[in-house]
Amino acid sequence: MQSANMLLKKFVRSSVLPFAAQHGMKKDLFPVSRTLSLSLCLKQDNSCSPSEKLDLDAWKKVMKSGLQEEVSETVSEHKELSTLAAARETLEMWRLAGRSVPENISEEQLKTFMECPSKSAKKKYLRYLYHKELYKKNDRRKMDEKRERRLETQEQDSKTDETRRNSFICLWASCMDRAYSWRVAQSMIFGQPLVFDMSYEKDMSIREVANTVRQIVLSEGCNRRSVDPFHIHFCNFKDDSLYHKEFVKHYREAWGKLLITATDQCYTEVFPKDKLIYLTADSPKVMKTFDHDKIYIIGSMVDKSIKTGVSLARAKRLGLETAALPLEKYLLWNAGAKNLTLDQMMRILLTLKDTGDWKAALEFVPKRKYCGFVSRPVHELKKSLNLINTLKLGKRQEELRKQFTKNYSKKLMQK
Amino acid sequence: VQPPEKPLEAEEWNRLRESFPSPEIFEEVMFNSMVRCNSPIDVAKSLLTHVAKSNGDIAYNLLVKYLVLCVQQRQTSEICDVYDIMKIRFKILESGAYNLLIRGLSNSDQWRMALTLLEEVKKIMTPSRTNYESCVKAASRHQEMNLAFELYREMLAKDLIPTLDVLQAFFDFSRGMKGAELQKELFGILLYLRENQIYPHKTFMRSIKLWFESIPGENWRGHLTNIKDSGQCPVCNHQLEDSDLTEEEYNNLRERIIRDVIHGTDTFRKTSPQEFEAFQTFVENRLPFDIVIDGLNVSHIKPRRMQCENLFDAVNCLAKENARLLVLGRKHMLINSSNWKREIMKEMQNKADFFFAENISEDDAFLLYATLRSGKHCKFVTRDFLRDHKACLSNSLTRHLFRKWQRGHQISKKMFLSVFIQQPAFRYDCVVQTTGDTWHIPYKDTFEEKYSYQVPRKWLCIQQK
Repeated sequence: MQSANMLLKKFVRSSVLPFAAQHGMKKDLFPVSRTLSLSLCLKQDNSCSPSEKLDLDAWKKVMKSGLQEEVSETVSEHKELSTLAAARETLEMWRLAGRSVPENISEEQLKTFMECPSKSAKKKYLRYLYHKELYKKNDRRKMDEKRERRLETQEQDSKTDETRRNSFICLWASCMDRAYSWRVAQSMIFGQPLVFDMSYEKDMSIREVANTVRQIVLSEGCNRRSVDPFHIHFCNFKDDSLYHKEFVKHYREAWGKLLITATDQCYTEVFPKDKLIYLTADSPKVMKTFDHDKIYIIGSMVDKSIKTGVSLARAKRLGLETAALPLEKYLLWNAGAKNLTLDQMMRILLTLKDTGDWKAALEFVPKRKYCGFVSRPVHELKKSLNLINTLKLGKRQEELRKQFTKNYSKKLMQK
Repeated sequence: VQPPEKPLEAEEWNRLRESFPSPEIFEEVMFNSMVRCNSPIDVAKSLLTHVAKSNGDIAYNLLVKYLVLCVQQRQTSEICDVYDIMKIRFKILESGAYNLLIRGLSNSDQWRMALTLLEEVKKIMTPSRTNYESCVKAASRHQEMNLAFELYREMLAKDLIPTLDVLQAFFDFSRGMKGAELQKELFGILLYLRENQIYPHKTFMRSIKLWFESIPGENWRGHLTNIKDSGQCPVCNHQLEDSDLTEEEYNNLRERIIRDVIHGTDTFRKTSPQEFEAFQTFVENRLPFDIVIDGLNVSHIKPRRMQCENLFDAVNCLAKENARLLVLGRKHMLINSSNWKREIMKEMQNKADFFFAENISEDDAFLLYATLRSGKHCKFVTRDFLRDHKACLSNSLTRHLFRKWQRGHQISKKMFLSVFIQQPAFRYDCVVQTTGDTWHIPYKDTFEEKYSYQVPRKWLCIQQK
């Protein structure tokens, strides 16, 4: 700051005066009040004499002059910034530089940001916050637009006709809620159990746990709305766990009234061992039919880093039977991991339970992951798919190699 | 958009801006294309002036883009001016601007300012390795070797991996200089290459050679050569270090393999405790083996033949000279099928010991364990590169040890006209090495794409006459 001050003094003495004199606007320049007014003068000035030779460094003077009084402020308050404030400053600068950085960041998020172990982790976290903010903003904008539209139509309606008479009072939503709850309550007495194994917390990052809970909330929703719901069990569920915290965040006060069974016991303690089947994509056994007498277990885990064999290991340890969905048998798989999200699993199981139809059930596998249902023998289809892929990949590899040599030679040239 | 060739007046910029489809990002797009076309900075200045006059301010990102242009054209005074302006405007800068400033200034006679900037960066974040690279290069270019080495050490202390360019700069700029201290530091760099198993490329190798030969009064001579399979250098007849691990390294590696690869986070993921125990007693009772074979991997060598025949060939071929063999497989191999004939399996079991793991267990982990347990002479056969197992090891030092051990003990082979050709394991260790009066440095060709499991075959031999 010292140097900046010096510099300012110098420039006040040397550079502005001749500049002002040259343009004949001394009285406009002193006292300098605001950047805007100054630039206005400059603009006017410029428009008066368009034929004048261009002053290429004029921007520097503008940039320096605008700050005169601000500098004196900052000098006095310039002290050692706390680390948090410093991080906030850096973020602000990144935002100015046009990087994907959120506009507003809470204290808590800032702390999480500082605790990221590496630069790339920090970048990733910021990008995540940025996109979250963007989505939120868009949602809010859309909601506002919707409200406006609704208000408009309401106005028109009120003008045109009076309220219609109807024998049902408009209580559709709460009636449905009651009917659903009735069904789920029935299933809690008579229904087939379905277990979510909540023992993977230590295998996941905080964000993965949050994703897991979100997926479970979605699956609980589908289950509630289905014709014949499962009786959902959360097993190995600890009360002070991250899972619990996230659930409360999602359900708020409804968490206590949820029609599910949550227990800290293991499923092997709740149910007879020979009835349990652990569903895992790593299982060597493939599920043929849906068995209404068995109790299926789903591991509540989102693994973005593809930790293979974690849930299989758990089943092995407890000596449980395992099964995988017959994805290969019915679908011509294209890309992506064979582990599905929890809500997709739930929909598939519900459909199987109601209809026993694999084709209908596997409609819930994301379309991007497969090319279609198998009609011809699988190996034939696979051959053509492989051919397509090698053609595609082969070309790409060639391109990559070219790119590499080009960059490399460029780097050498620079030296 | 095509940037104009000459500086424009305000109205001309206005006209251009209005003809642009999205005027709000016009300046940004224009600056980007100026950087791409490397336009003269006067054009950029005229645009900046226009922006400053119409808005009364210039956004930070435009300043940074202008800075890119200045750095690209090495306009030192302009870089300094932009820095001054940024300094007044903003309390701190972000890493992008600092990177540019440091790079721009370190190439000029204002290079000492780059050092002060580096100090400034340190206050708010860890400087990147390219920041250090610029500063180190600038310091060594001006013969301030002490300063350069200080920065280099600081960089290593921050766990930044120096680029080969930095290391090369040290050798380039110390050429012909005398001094025991300097020499020690440069030897330190060579040892750093050794420790981290880094191979210099051809130009870097040449810098090393020239530096050695330029040391006054020491009479070093360098020759390029290829090392024979026996590990003897054809130039100086010196025998290179063998690829064996020391006792301590060996035990360390074995323990790590058991802990990280076999057990990992959960023993059940790769095997089960019962199975592993059974395998351990099996191995202890039959020690030591000479060659351990990954049965399933070898059985797929020739796809047209029956899998057990492939394995049978391999076992027959390796069973010569009374070598004790261990074949690892899975239980499904014991069931009579079109690929696995019971009679052939029986016959093989007379020639070698077999261990069959569960069908869902990983036999590779057992392969590593059995080989390491048998001792240093034991080799293993598989075409697998074992990358996933290497990745399980928790620190990079152990991963290096694993690679070194793998190079010395893995026999991978090709089936060629049904003759079994063994690709021998390396007898010598491929790292930078010295005996005091000789140095042997492996290097790779500049354009050579080297896979991580490959080691260079070309060497620089340096000896003191």
